[in-house]
Amino acid sequence: MRRGAAIAAMAIALGVSGVGAYQLAPAPAEETARWREIAWPFPRDGWPAGRAFRCDGACAGAELYVRAKRGFCNCERGVADDDEVDRVADIDLISPRFTAVAPGEEVGIGAMRGRARRYDLDGPDSARLAAIGIAVSRRCDLLVAAAQGRGQAGVVQRAVLVFLEMPEMKTWVTAALDGK
Amino acid sequence: MFRCVLTAAGLVLFACSTTALAQQKQAIGAPPEASNMKLVGVSDLQARSAYQPTIHRQGDRWIAYIGHHGGTDDVPAPVNPMTGQAEPNGTSIVDVTDPAHPRYLRHLPGQAGKYESGGAQMARVCDGKSLPKGDPNAVYMLRTFGSEAHEIWNVSDPASPVLVTRIDGLKDTHKSWWECDTGIAFLVSGAPDWRTRRMTQVYDLGDPAHPQKIRDFGLPGQEPGSTGAVPTELHGPISTGPQGNRVFFGYGTNKGGILQIVDRDKLLNGPKEPTPDNLRFPEISRLPMSAFNGAHTTFPMFDMPVAEFAEDKDGKTRDIVMIVDEAILNECGEARQMVWFADVTTETRPMMISSYTVPEASGQFCQRGGRFGSHSANESMAPVYYKKMAFIAFFNAGVRALDIRDPYHPKEVGYFIPSITSATDKRCIPIEGGDRCKVAIQTNNVETDDRGYVYIVDRANTGLHILELTGPARAVAGLPKS
Repeated sequence: MRRGAAIAAMAIALGVSGVGAYQLAPAPAEETARWREIAWPFPRDGWPAGRAFRCDGACAGAELYVRAKRGFCNCERGVADDDEVDRVADIDLISPRFTAVAPGEEVGIGAMRGRARRYDLDGPDSARLAAIGIAVSRRCDLLVAAAQGRGQAGVVQRAVLVFLEMPEMKTWVTAALDGK
Repeated sequence: MFRCVLTAAGLVLFACSTTALAQQKQAIGAPPEASNMKLVGVSDLQARSAYQPTIHRQGDRWIAYIGHHGGTDDVPAPVNPMTGQAEPNGTSIVDVTDPAHPRYLRHLPGQAGKYESGGAQMARVCDGKSLPKGDPNAVYMLRTFGSEAHEIWNVSDPASPVLVTRIDGLKDTHKSWWECDTGIAFLVSGAPDWRTRRMTQVYDLGDPAHPQKIRDFGLPGQEPGSTGAVPTELHGPISTGPQGNRVFFGYGTNKGGILQIVDRDKLLNGPKEPTPDNLRFPEISRLPMSAFNGAHTTFPMFDMPVAEFAEDKDGKTRDIVMIVDEAILNECGEARQMVWFADVTTETRPMMISSYTVPEASGQFCQRGGRFGSHSANESMAPVYYKKMAFIAFFNAGVRALDIRDPYHPKEVGYFIPSITSATDKRCIPIEGGDRCKVAIQTNNVETDDRGYVYIVDRANTGLHILELTGPARAVAGLPKS
């Protein structure tokens, strides 16, 4: 009886944990990355707050911050270089002291194109954190994402890009870029 | 009886809603909206999107040099009717000696490209005889060439400009400043190795044929090789020259604005290597603005007598900087961009003292289409208006004339919103399944001349409108009754 109750409780708990979380479709034998929404952790600045998530599973402990930035002067050129990623990708919200570790690379989210770049951050207690900045543009507007964590940056970046391609996120991104 | 009251109430409501609708939408053929300002003359500027006008007296003529943004998606390179050729937007040169009948003299093509990625937005003009090593018979126009270069043209014959020199290899340009008595220019540039799109390149253009670079300048964190957060990019500087010995830099467009007060002499003669310490060396102070607002124009007005303080033992006169934000998004899609007045008398502790915006409800401007909010101010320091009146380009709310004699309490005394024409371009916002577009005036920039005429230009291709003050607004500037 007690065993049955424990199984039922676990099933309920698993069900509850699935609410408000987004599970990536894993490749066979690959650990799942699950993103659980958390409160936007930063004080108000010039841009409206976005959405924040914490990863369980493959990128455990990583946090992701995503928001739309409407009104961007480079309507024609878009996110043309790594300096643009340094400027706009919200890495400075995590820490104003960051250093790019390598040149960035071109990325796409849906039809939007831009760049991603990896950084080292100064964390609390002199800890070094890895971070990823992503900026893609749609005409005169930007979608930016910043992720931080202690795991491998490559794993986190892949998990973030897959997550941002999920239908729920695409719907939200479109609405946010439309100013809704 | 009750039915009659209901009917009457319905009629009143209908009349009100019709008026409100009419105010929300401009129509071709409708008269301009105006108060204490009237239209004197018009030029269509070949239906090119316009940025900075500069009005220059050349002998007995008055010439307007008007910078343009790049073309639009629909018309990337409008046809110049004078040549019959499609030409990328550049600089319009217009003889405004008779402001009632402006004469279009020449279109000087700019960089091919659309919107902010092309054209030749900025223009400043100096006489050769005022520059230290200029040709005394020449008149020089300094202009941007899209995002890639600055150019100097000899416009002594404004209908036939001749290229003098070019400073290129840049990744962007914008609202530069040129001191005509010293030749020192503060060029808003994008040096390729800097981390920001726009910073300052200080040049000696006293001999326009032989530009001498003095230094690069910006905020620490923008310089090559730096790491971490990148401070807000530059929009434009205004210098008070060797006498005032200050340069006021405005950073930001519609967000995170900064007014930076810089010692001009230290900037020109201090250590030039772009290290954080050297970049800090000439700075006197900064006034960080709200994250909601940027600093497009930072216009200094020193020694302003403030009537309210006339009996005070100290502080009778104040040094004021008027800061104008730039609205970017259509249909009020952002925090309001407006006008701010900072008291910088104690330079190390500048303080905002007042603000001004057009009341939105006065014209339902958020519903009219296009941008609503400020963009820029006149930058002429000619005595006719200096420290008395300021003119603010307010996009779909046209131009606004402010009485600034008491900068602690600026007051609107006039306005003019031009009529739209068949050339006026649409402005769109995204909606479910596509775009929704409206056509509205987008007064982008404004300048004045020494005679007191006010020149406004339109970002949505409606051209140049030359205005004059009427009624009580003339008295504010001390102009004779019209």
